[in-house]
Amino acid sequence: MTQLFGLLSIGAGALLSQQRAISVTGNNIANVNTPGYSRQRLNMETKLPMDTPVGPVGLGVQTTTVERVYDRFLGVQMNNESASLGRWEAQKGALERVEVVFDESGGYGLNQTLSDFWNSWQDLSMNPSGTIERSVVAAKSQALADAIRQKYADLEQAQADIDAAVTSGVEDINRLTAEISDLNQKIASTESGGTVNANDYRDRRDLALKQLSEIIGINSFEDADGRVVVSVGSGRVLVEGGNTYALTTPTALAPATNAGHVDIEWPGAPVPISSEITSGKMAGWLQTRDTKIAGYMRNLDELAQTLATGDPIRPLTKSSVNTLHAAGFGLDGSTGNDFFIGSGAADMEVNPLILADPNRIAAASAAGAVPGDARNAAAIADLRTALTMSGGTFDDAANVLVSQVGHDVQEAKSYQSHQADMLAYLDNYRESVSGVNLDEEMVNLVKYQAAYNAAAKMISMGDEMLNSLMNMVR
Amino acid sequence: MRITQNMMSNLFVRNIQKQTEAMLQRQEQLVSQKRINRPSDDPGGMARVLDGRSTLVAIDQYVENIKQGKSRLEITEMTLAQVDDLVQQARKLAEVNSDAEITPEQRALAAEKVKGIYDHVMQLANSRFGDRYMFAGYQTDRAPFARNANYNATYHDSPPATPDPADTGSFQIPIADNVKVSVDADGRNYFGDGATGVFFELQKLINGLENTTDPAAGTAAIRTTVDPLEAAHVQIMNKRSEGSPKLYRLEASEQYWTHFKPMVMEAMGRDEDADITRVAVELNNLRTAYETSMAAAAKIIQRGLVDFLG
Repeated sequence: MTQLFGLLSIGAGALLSQQRAISVTGNNIANVNTPGYSRQRLNMETKLPMDTPVGPVGLGVQTTTVERVYDRFLGVQMNNESASLGRWEAQKGALERVEVVFDESGGYGLNQTLSDFWNSWQDLSMNPSGTIERSVVAAKSQALADAIRQKYADLEQAQADIDAAVTSGVEDINRLTAEISDLNQKIASTESGGTVNANDYRDRRDLALKQLSEIIGINSFEDADGRVVVSVGSGRVLVEGGNTYALTTPTALAPATNAGHVDIEWPGAPVPISSEITSGKMAGWLQTRDTKIAGYMRNLDELAQTLATGDPIRPLTKSSVNTLHAAGFGLDGSTGNDFFIGSGAADMEVNPLILADPNRIAAASAAGAVPGDARNAAAIADLRTALTMSGGTFDDAANVLVSQVGHDVQEAKSYQSHQADMLAYLDNYRESVSGVNLDEEMVNLVKYQAAYNAAAKMISMGDEMLNSLMNMVR
Repeated sequence: MRITQNMMSNLFVRNIQKQTEAMLQRQEQLVSQKRINRPSDDPGGMARVLDGRSTLVAIDQYVENIKQGKSRLEITEMTLAQVDDLVQQARKLAEVNSDAEITPEQRALAAEKVKGIYDHVMQLANSRFGDRYMFAGYQTDRAPFARNANYNATYHDSPPATPDPADTGSFQIPIADNVKVSVDADGRNYFGDGATGVFFELQKLINGLENTTDPAAGTAAIRTTVDPLEAAHVQIMNKRSEGSPKLYRLEASEQYWTHFKPMVMEAMGRDEDADITRVAVELNNLRTAYETSMAAAAKIIQRGLVDFLG
C-alpha cells in the first residue's frame, strides 16, 4: 500500500494502543486500594515489518496481552504464613477469654477462697463448740465450692463459644471454596483460547485462597487448565475440577476426646478430620478447646476431687476432706457424713445436711469427746500443708493452674506477634512487586498521553498531506 | 526496592498500633500500680505473688491464734494464782487448828472459813474461757467439778456422760505449719479428782474441824491435812510453771510472724509492684515517639506526584 495510507494506519494503531494503555493505567489507579489487586501492564510489540526496496519497514505497534505483575511463589508462601498467623490469633483470642476466668485480683479467685476455707477450719479447731465458727466454716466451704463450680462452668462456656466459632468458620470455608470453584470455571473458560489472561479473576481467586488459608491451612496447586485444586488435612480435597466438597460440623460422640463438641467432617466417607488440621484459625480453636481448655478443666476437676468430692469412678476412695470428716463426730453425735458432695468441679457442693445444721460438722475425733474435742477440725485444717497434689499442696495446685493459663496466653501472644511481623514482611514484599504506585501511574499517564498526542498529530499531518495530494491533482 | 503508597500507609498503621499498645500497657500499670495485671503479664511472677498471698493470709491467722492462746494462758495463770492463795490460807488454818488447845468454838469458826475457801476454789476450778469450761477436758460444756452436802467433790460425775478415763483433753494452739502449742485442760491434773487432791484434803479438814464428838480424832485428822495441802500447793505451782515457757513460746512466735510478714510483703512487692517512676518515664518517651511518627507520616502520606502535575 502507499506510504501515506500506511502512515494513517500506523497512526490509528498507535492511537488505539496508547488509548488501551491509558485505560489499563486508569484501571490500576482505580484499584490502588483494592485488596489483593495486582497491577496490570499492557504489553506492546511492533507489528511484523513489511519488506520494501529499502529493507524491512515497521508497520507500527500492536498490543498483545494485558499481564498482571505478581510473584507466583510468593502466593503459596503467604498462604502458609497466613495459616500460621490465623492459628495463633485464634488461640490467643480464645485463651485471653479464659484468662479472665482465672482473674485473681477480685478476691473471688481460687487463691482467696482456698485461704479463707483453711482459716475457717483453723478457727473452728480453736473453738469447736462455737456456733459462729461453725456457720463460718459452712459459709466459706460453700464459697469455695461456688468458686470452683463457677470456673468450671465458665470454661465450659468458653468451649461452647469455640464451638460456635468453628461452626461459623466452616460456613465461611464452604462459601470460599464455592467461590474458588466458580472462579476456576471462569478462568478456565476465559483462558481456554490460550491467548488471554483472566487477570482480575486470578486476583480474586488468589484473595479467596488467602482468606481460606487464614481459616484453615490448605495445600493448593494449579492444574493444566488453570484450575486450582485445594485440599486440607491429609489430602482431603475441597475443590477439584468442577467439584466442591462441603465440610460439615456434626457433634462428636463419646468415646472421642472431643465428645459433646463440634467436630469437622469431610463428606468423603464421611470422616472426621479435626485431628488432621494443623494450621489456620480452625487449628487454633480446636487446639485451644480440646487440649488447653480441656486440660484446665481436668486440673480443676482433679483439685476438686482430691480435696472435696472424691472420684466417682473409684467411689470407695474418698477425698481428703471427706475421709477425715466422715470419721469424725459432730456436736450432735452424727458421724459418717461426707462434707462435700458431687462428682467433681462441675457439681461440687457442701453436703446439704451440713448446711441445714452446722452442728453436724465433725470437729471431734471421738464420740464421747464432744464438744471440746477439735482434733478432727485441726486435722482438716492441717490439710493445707499436706502434699496431696502430685507432690504439692492444694494451694500449689491452684496457683500452678493460674500460672499455666498465663503461660499459655503469653506463648500465644508471642507467637502471634512474631507471625504478624512475618506476614507483614511478606505483605510488604508483595506490595512492592504487585502494588500500584500512584506516582508511577501518573508518569505513565503523562507518557501515554504524550504518545497519544503525537500519534494524533501524525494523523492530522497525514491528513494534510493527503489533502495536498488531492488538491495537487485537481 | 519498589515502594508503593500502600506500603507506606501500612507501615504507618502498624507502627501506630504497636506504639499505642505499648502506651496502653504503661497506662494500665500506672493506674493499677501493679506490674502484673493478668497472669500472662508474667506467669512465673504471678505464681510467686499468689504463693505470697497465701502465706500472708496464713500468717495473719497464726497471729490471731497466738493472741487467743495468750489470752487463755493469762486467764489460766490468774485463776491458778488465786487458787494458790486460797490453798495457802487453808494450810495455815490447818496448822493453827491442829493444836489441841484450840476450843471447839474457834474450830467451828475455822470450819466456816474452810467451807468458804472450798467453795471459792471450786468456783475457780469451774472458770470459763469464753463459754467453755477451762478445766473440763473435752467436756467443755459441763462444769467439771461439783460437790454434795458433805463436801464430796466429783469430776464430771453428772449423768448422762461418764468421764472417759482416757479423756485428757487439751487446748491446741496452731502457731505455725503443723506446729501446735498445747495447754492442759484436764482438771484432774490441777485439782485432783475428788478422791485425791485439793478438794479431798479440804473436805478432810472440814470434817476434822467439825468433829466435836471426838476432839482428839479431829485434831489428828486436821494434822494429816497439813502436808497434803502443801503438796496440793506444789501441784498448782507446777502447773503454773508449765504455763510460762508456753507463754514465752507464743510471744516469740508472734514476734517472729510480725517480723516475717513485712519481708514476705516486700518480696511480693518486688514481683508485683510497678516501678512508677520508670513507667512514667517510659510512657513519656513513648508519647514523644508516637507524636513524632504521626507528624512524619502526615507529611509523607499526603503528597504525591499528582499534586505537582499541571
